[in-house]
Amino acid sequence: MRNPFYSEQEAFRLVLVLVLATLAIVLAAAVGPTWLAPVVLALALGAVAIRWARLRMRKLRGLELPVKMAPPHVGPAAERRVLVVANDTLGEDALLGELVRLASTPDTRVLLLAPALISPMSRLTGAVDGLLDQTRARLQSTLDRVGHESALAGEISQAEPLEAIEDVFATFSPDEVIISTRWEHAASGLQPQLASLVRERFAVPVRHLVFEPGTAAQEPDGETDARYRHDVGEAAARRFGLRALASAGIGAAVLMSMAALIQSGERQEARAASQAAAERAAAAPPVATQVSLSVIPEYKRGPEGEKHDAFTVTEFTVRVGRPQTLRIDNTDSVPHSITAPAAGVNIVLMPGVHTYTLIVRRAGTFLWFCTFQCDEWAMQHPGYMSGYITAS
Amino acid sequence: MLSTESAAQTQAAAQTQAISLKPQPWRWSHPRVLVEHPNEATGLEIASGLRFAGYAVGICPGPHGRRQCPLTGPAGCAPAHDADLIVCSLGYEHETARAVLHELRTRFPEKTLLVETPSDMDAGLHELLDGCHQLPAPASPEQIVAAVRNLSGHVAEEGNADA
Repeated sequence: MRNPFYSEQEAFRLVLVLVLATLAIVLAAAVGPTWLAPVVLALALGAVAIRWARLRMRKLRGLELPVKMAPPHVGPAAERRVLVVANDTLGEDALLGELVRLASTPDTRVLLLAPALISPMSRLTGAVDGLLDQTRARLQSTLDRVGHESALAGEISQAEPLEAIEDVFATFSPDEVIISTRWEHAASGLQPQLASLVRERFAVPVRHLVFEPGTAAQEPDGETDARYRHDVGEAAARRFGLRALASAGIGAAVLMSMAALIQSGERQEARAASQAAAERAAAAPPVATQVSLSVIPEYKRGPEGEKHDAFTVTEFTVRVGRPQTLRIDNTDSVPHSITAPAAGVNIVLMPGVHTYTLIVRRAGTFLWFCTFQCDEWAMQHPGYMSGYITAS
Repeated sequence: MLSTESAAQTQAAAQTQAISLKPQPWRWSHPRVLVEHPNEATGLEIASGLRFAGYAVGICPGPHGRRQCPLTGPAGCAPAHDADLIVCSLGYEHETARAVLHELRTRFPEKTLLVETPSDMDAGLHELLDGCHQLPAPASPEQIVAAVRNLSGHVAEEGNADA
């Protein structure tokens, strides 16, 4: 496996960034609101993507130093190995002439590589066999016309031209590379910019020969070569830019979907909570906004047959924290009270008709009683001068 | 010889497509020589000689124009890191080239360096070159290849130890 880093510092920096980003995400998930963790994750991913894109663009535009590489020479010391790369120019007489010249040179071995130039669309649709057959037929025809079987071999490749050349370096180890193209790139042919790419990558002499029908081989001058090199960088950067934009769009769509999912989850939770509250409220006993009652001496007969002082209403139902109005007619000549210490309630009822407010701050059922000296038996028996307050 | 067996070609193609083109250097085994030379044609000549002598080679033109040498930055230089021997021919009358050499000495104190040295060296360069193998400039590609071969026993031992 290839190490993707240029230095230990670079690897260490990545590990540090990953650790910090993970910590930030975990922290956001642990203590922040639900939306914070995805936002931190998105920011971390965005920062990594931007850094990577900037490095890639710089590389594609050729701002990094090119280090060319080549494997050791393979074969006898006197032998010279030449790799010729061609596709759409395979039938050109000038190329055949060049191949004959090379193959007939003593101690020279020639490998003719024909990349099949399979487009991504063809790979996707599986239309590969036709292109391979065409390339194979063209290559075979060229080899037959050149002859020199002992010095000349042919190979086709399904890989991208540059990858195919890199693979040939691993097996054939050429001492020189010749790239054969037209002046301008045709859909079914090799790009003239390929020579620049090969030259930048491999530490062997690279010749770019241009073949047009009926003409001799020509080599691009420095200006044309510079244009090709510029085109390579710009085209690659443009392609990369488009891909990066598409990826950013997909990433944004995924993040928005995540945010929408989280939000809809939160909304669903809130809806469920409010529904549960509504159900609880529906299940609770009804609460009147105002209750009218009286305190009447010797109003209600007790079990022993005697009449006792009593409230006409002794059971109160309230909502926690919500005030309830009590309109009380105290028909006695002395004050009475509704006192429930556990509920924090103490309402003194003066003689006459008055309005009072009953508020209970916590849920539960609380006993209340009258604290003013009146009917002693009635004060101790709920339903008379005592009762219950239920708060929910 | 043209292989016409489609299955074999498909397999070979699948293998080639799996190969990444990431700029990871030195896909080839030891011994590896990195040649730092500002002239492309001369660099290729030296590389060719070294390849025929059995070395995997890398050619770096060194810092020029707006390009900063990664070796002098925080990123470092993987080709230099993984090379068994480095031929330094950047012309050390220039400060930028000296900075590269200084980084090489600092970062890879054990690495074998063959430095093409100018005839009139100042004290600073003398100090910088202490412990390096030196070759008077201008050295021909043949002289450089011969010098590398002379050092190759040392290099091969290091390469085998690393491999």
